[in-house]
Amino acid sequence: MTDVVASRIGLPKLSSLARFTFVDVILWALRLAVVIVVVGGTIGTLLKGRYAAAQWFDLVMFGLTIGSVYALIALGYTMVYGVLRLINFAHGDITMTGAFAGYFLASSFDRSGLLDRSPILAMAGILALAIVTSTTIAVLTERIAYRPFRHVRGFAPLICAIGVSFFLEQTFRGLFGPSIRSYPDPKWQRAAIDVLGFSVPRVDIIVIALAVVAMLVLYVIIQRTKMGTAMRAVSEDTDAAAMMGVDVNKVVVFTFALGGAMAGIAGVFYAFVFKQVYFFMGFTPGIKAFGAAVLGGIGSVPGAMIGGFFLGLVESVGPALFLDGIGIPAPYQLRDLIAFTLLIMVLIFRPHGILGERMAKKRA
Amino acid sequence: MALLEIDDIHVFYDKIEALKGVSIAVDEKQIVTLVGANGAGKTTTLRAISGILHPRAGEIRLGGESLADLPPHEIAGMGVVQVPEGRRIFARLTVDENLQMGAFSRNDRRAIAEDKERMLALFPRLKERLKQVAGTLSGGEQQMVATARALMARPRILLMDEPSMGLSPVMVEHVFETIRAINQQGVTILLVEQNALMALGIADFGYVMESGRIVLTGRGQDLLEDENVQRAYLG
Repeated sequence: MTDVVASRIGLPKLSSLARFTFVDVILWALRLAVVIVVVGGTIGTLLKGRYAAAQWFDLVMFGLTIGSVYALIALGYTMVYGVLRLINFAHGDITMTGAFAGYFLASSFDRSGLLDRSPILAMAGILALAIVTSTTIAVLTERIAYRPFRHVRGFAPLICAIGVSFFLEQTFRGLFGPSIRSYPDPKWQRAAIDVLGFSVPRVDIIVIALAVVAMLVLYVIIQRTKMGTAMRAVSEDTDAAAMMGVDVNKVVVFTFALGGAMAGIAGVFYAFVFKQVYFFMGFTPGIKAFGAAVLGGIGSVPGAMIGGFFLGLVESVGPALFLDGIGIPAPYQLRDLIAFTLLIMVLIFRPHGILGERMAKKRA
Repeated sequence: MALLEIDDIHVFYDKIEALKGVSIAVDEKQIVTLVGANGAGKTTTLRAISGILHPRAGEIRLGGESLADLPPHEIAGMGVVQVPEGRRIFARLTVDENLQMGAFSRNDRRAIAEDKERMLALFPRLKERLKQVAGTLSGGEQQMVATARALMARPRILLMDEPSMGLSPVMVEHVFETIRAINQQGVTILLVEQNALMALGIADFGYVMESGRIVLTGRGQDLLEDENVQRAYLG
């Protein structure tokens, strides 16, 4: 009786209040805290007016730049997950291998002067070598470490992926040492160019533009080619695709190759932006890009792209916008905290991400 | 010699023996049906033929060649194509892409395009749905997509697993008409059905399965008139 009255006047039913558990309280508190920080911080920052329009523009541009790197890496996670239901935890390190290969070529171009003389040729060479390296290592990883576990249920494939991650890191540490190497920084990358009246470092524009081109090419491959269609079919129903004559192993190799190529490009761009190369450099962007893939809906290709850009923007603009306003000093130190808070919030409140479907539905 | 010969196969799910020595022969241009209750092993038999499951003993031969230990895509490439239980079309691909996937092992573009036209003539409803995502189609239309997809492979033998499942009586009628029409165009069919009455009605030959074994075989008409079959499956 009370329930009927309650629902008629639009209050929550008492029975559903009774089911309100302790965990719900915590989750609502978490939601509330995030909303307070985001809204309060934004209002605070804007009232203080400490940042000029040019600074905001810088932050947005940097967010898009780093976001395009995350998006490229996230594509590898999401495609492999789609086809194998495996999180390839070594994917961040595959990015690192591309960055390293690109670094060696860039340094030699730098010494020979080619890097300054013909930037486009140099960049094409660097990207090509990085793509080849990352693709090769990604395909080898699948063949050696993942294929034997293809029909194993449980945690073994995941543990193996983490093992491959350590293996790649330690191998590169052993081969090239633990020190941080500085990436060549030619003038043509540093030079600022004018966008909508604001000055932007040229490297940002290069990275964003080429990343978008790479993603468009990838999208066309997935949507328009026979192998791309087969890849989508396998990610939906492996057995049915095999019964139509699709060689699933070939599709898996194709998927790892595409993901590896994107990771190679991402590695070069990451090094372009941060001007550093070292054996552990793939870890943080790898984990963040995994977050971006989850954010966009793991298994969804457009989702990985959107998730990458969104994460990049939030972690770039977020510290100034949300944290400065609530009086946190040096908010930039907390950039990673914002990124990972976002990941945790997605996992709790929207595990299927922006564009993904619910897992249960997909399994059925 | 029969086109498809299944010779005393034993299939296990871990330690459970699902098929305890099943033998079936399908002659060229025939419709052969496999009927029986739920869990009798009908789908398991088809999955073993397609190479999704591997028999622990026994042989499966297509035109005399052994299919044992071949991966599913090679078996499909040899012309053994399945319309799986529950249709299992690619719901997020368009109808057109589903048909393309059926022709995956083929490279003769012109003939593929011709076959697509033939499919659209066989299933005119699919014509206007060609660019639509297959998951948005009705159950009956999805069955058409699944059948057309399999036919796009130009199968030597078509395996159909419960094509009438979950369809309205009118659609069931239509499905069986289609099966007969496909067969008349020269396609050999191995049909698994729970709807024994309809299946035996169109079949040249029938096998009745019970808990992993073939318990009865005979011409379709004879089985329809068999007392045991009538009592058990036809009410």
